[in-house]
Amino acid sequence: MTTVLRSRFLRPSSVLIAGVALASLLLPPLLDSGKQTVFVLFTLYVVVTVGLSLLMGLAGQISLGQAAFYALGAYTAGLLAKHGLPQLLALAAAPVGSAVVATLIGVPVLRLRGHYLAFATLAFQLIVLTILAEARGITGGDIGLGGIPPLLPVLNQGQDSELDLNSPLVYCYVGWLVAALVIVLTRNLVRSRPGRGLRALATSEIGAAASGVAVGADKLKVFTISAAYAGLAGGVYAFFLEYLSPGSFPILLSIQFIVMATLGGLGEVWGAVLGAAVIVLLVQVLQAAASQPGLPRQAPAILSYAAYGGVMVLVMLFLPAGLLPTLRQRLSRGRG
Amino acid sequence: MSALLQYLISGIATGCAFALVATGFVTIHRVTGVVNFAQGGFAILAGYVTFSALRAGLPHGVSELLAVLLATAAGGVVGVISIGRRGTPLLASLIITIGLGFLFYAVEVAIWGDQPLQFEGVPGVFSLAGLTLQRQYLLIVAGAVVSFAALLLFFNRTYLGKIFTACASNAYAARLAGINVTRVGIAAFAVGGLLGGLAGVLLLPLRSLTFDSDVDLAVNGFAAAIFGGLQRPGAALVGGLVIGVAEALVAGYSHASYQKGVSLVLIVGILVWQASRRAQAD
Amino acid sequence: MAEALLEVRGLTVRYGAAVALADVSLQVARGEMVALVGPNGAGKTTLLNAISGVIRPAAGRIQLSGRVTQVPEGRQLFADMSVEDNLRIGAWSVRQRDPAAVYELLPRLRELRGRIAGTLSGGEQQMVAVGRALMSTPDLLAIDELSLGLAPLVVDSLAQYLRSLNRERATAILLVEQNVRLALELCPRAYVLEAGQIVLSGSAEELASSAAVQAAYLGGAPEPVPVASGGEDAEA
Repeated sequence: MTTVLRSRFLRPSSVLIAGVALASLLLPPLLDSGKQTVFVLFTLYVVVTVGLSLLMGLAGQISLGQAAFYALGAYTAGLLAKHGLPQLLALAAAPVGSAVVATLIGVPVLRLRGHYLAFATLAFQLIVLTILAEARGITGGDIGLGGIPPLLPVLNQGQDSELDLNSPLVYCYVGWLVAALVIVLTRNLVRSRPGRGLRALATSEIGAAASGVAVGADKLKVFTISAAYAGLAGGVYAFFLEYLSPGSFPILLSIQFIVMATLGGLGEVWGAVLGAAVIVLLVQVLQAAASQPGLPRQAPAILSYAAYGGVMVLVMLFLPAGLLPTLRQRLSRGRG
Repeated sequence: MSALLQYLISGIATGCAFALVATGFVTIHRVTGVVNFAQGGFAILAGYVTFSALRAGLPHGVSELLAVLLATAAGGVVGVISIGRRGTPLLASLIITIGLGFLFYAVEVAIWGDQPLQFEGVPGVFSLAGLTLQRQYLLIVAGAVVSFAALLLFFNRTYLGKIFTACASNAYAARLAGINVTRVGIAAFAVGGLLGGLAGVLLLPLRSLTFDSDVDLAVNGFAAAIFGGLQRPGAALVGGLVIGVAEALVAGYSHASYQKGVSLVLIVGILVWQASRRAQAD
Repeated sequence: MAEALLEVRGLTVRYGAAVALADVSLQVARGEMVALVGPNGAGKTTLLNAISGVIRPAAGRIQLSGRVTQVPEGRQLFADMSVEDNLRIGAWSVRQRDPAAVYELLPRLRELRGRIAGTLSGGEQQMVAVGRALMSTPDLLAIDELSLGLAPLVVDSLAQYLRSLNRERATAILLVEQNVRLALELCPRAYVLEAGQIVLSGSAEELASSAAVQAAYLGGAPEPVPVASGGEDAEA
């Protein structure tokens, strides 16, 4: 039994990790600025997806409102920085804001057995979107929140030349760093004693409760952590775009996070990375395909709905463990 | 006063439609444990089919019937895919229903586009206490009353209906009695499709038809369903009426955009209340 | 041996990597009463579930020349439904859904017919569970833990019902029972299941007097009875 559990969290060899890290470090300068933006968003999606994957894989719960925590983090950081808080402090406040709100939702909802969190978080996201759109005085409403200062300083070099550190390329590395931080943090968490308790939780709620794991409290912890990750990613997003509007955080974005997490493999840190990468690439391909001349105006929408829906259904039916565990199994079978 | 009456009547009518969606949630959840995220999609699908059938020259009644039948079939298909495979865990089933909801979107946008459409309900108006109201309100209430009566008879008086209740009550014992619980679960999905389809053909003539308005219906229906903890159809009916009326009152007396907030706040409120009761019970 | 109603041969059941049953063979003849005893976790319920077709064996054969219905451990009634509805649902797999025949055998159920099953006493619930299983007119009644949580008097009367059921309808009974004394009293033949394997089998008398069974299930070695008469009887 323990070997089964452990193998689910077995890490890819350190060589592979080093390879992935190195490749992702070398990649950004080779991209044009448009693709660099995609890369930045990819790193942020990784951060959100790692958290969501943890929630779904370890706590067996699903959040349809992860984009709302992303939005909360973004607006927290954006508003605080705009009103004079140093940028790094504002960024640090982003995960805290999201985590506090998640705790407030989670305390009652996670006490109920069943999948109430799914609809509660969906409702929560709709509420957040409504508030962001209605509280014009604070958030700028539907028009959006502009004038967010950049994260990094603009250096004056002599009289005329300025070195702006806030290029997409630099944000690629900011995103990379944040993602790396979250990955390391999560891996340690999963291997820790509480992490092992959580894994028991995923296997059987009743069993975990019987063996003394405080089911509700641990679910709450994972939910809060996942919200904090989303908030952190949102904070970076705010500084990267320097502009926020409710339209940037649709329900579809929450769904996209779910698709990434399920595709990669629930409860899998590296699965989240893989899932996010595959979906980001898929979206690029779909966008290119849908913008072919001669296709109807709705083609991009149809393609993306079909892709998200199709991936969720097919993965759950035929690849329920997700891409990464399946690949790993194939590999080890090939070797052994 | 007459304004209040107007709000009440329109609220009761929409509430009846929410209650139908809610009962779909409850029927499916009781038997299978799955929260069906495609539930709102059945209503929208039925709306689109009615639109096309009417446009193709089919009369009222036939169009709606066709739409409800198709929604029932769609419910069955969602059931087969989400729970038909042996050993599909609950979370996977739930994710599959979300995915199928998005496949609905893809199909609907491909066939009917992404612009709002409108189809006619029952034409004409009626007067009540000096108010002039659309006949469609009457039809919604009548349709819902008949549906609930039929559902009540089915669950409480027929052998097949009791099989549903038995599976909900104790799936293990039902299996030992030789009942194929998965098949009953798929049938429950079909009933969910039927109820969602009914809500769609009754309510949507009063609203515009867009593919993604299923979220609104599903959220309202879910809010109504959790009045009874996703277990009791009767409580879901009460929940639907409360939400319908509350929304109509909020829309009437304050800002229309706060209307949406009613069910959302109710969801959170009810969950908190149920959780605190549970905490006391523990 | 009489015609075999149930023949289990080389049955192996796995839960994931864990082996719940290993190469189990067992027979029940038509109209026979057989006890299956053994400690908790030996795999008795798993064996019944495999026989009932609820779980799939990894290997082995289960041959049934008739209908088997299980009375599950803990009664597992449809708690929020009436007694009569519980009975009628038990008849799902057969045409005849009128509980009259079961009421005849268990008259108490007729009195309780309108009551909600979950509100009954433990003994009454067990009676409903047996009645519900009988609705499918089984040739073999597989009972999981008849006496669990019930008062001795209630158990006695349930045992009486089973005896008359066996006598009058020739229904075979496979009884899984913690109370080995009761099991061996009721059933002329028994199997002992330990850690997923049949370790002993034979007539109730043989088993009752075997030292191993005495030690493990009947409260220690043959008691040094002061007045040592020929007390072979397993009576307490």
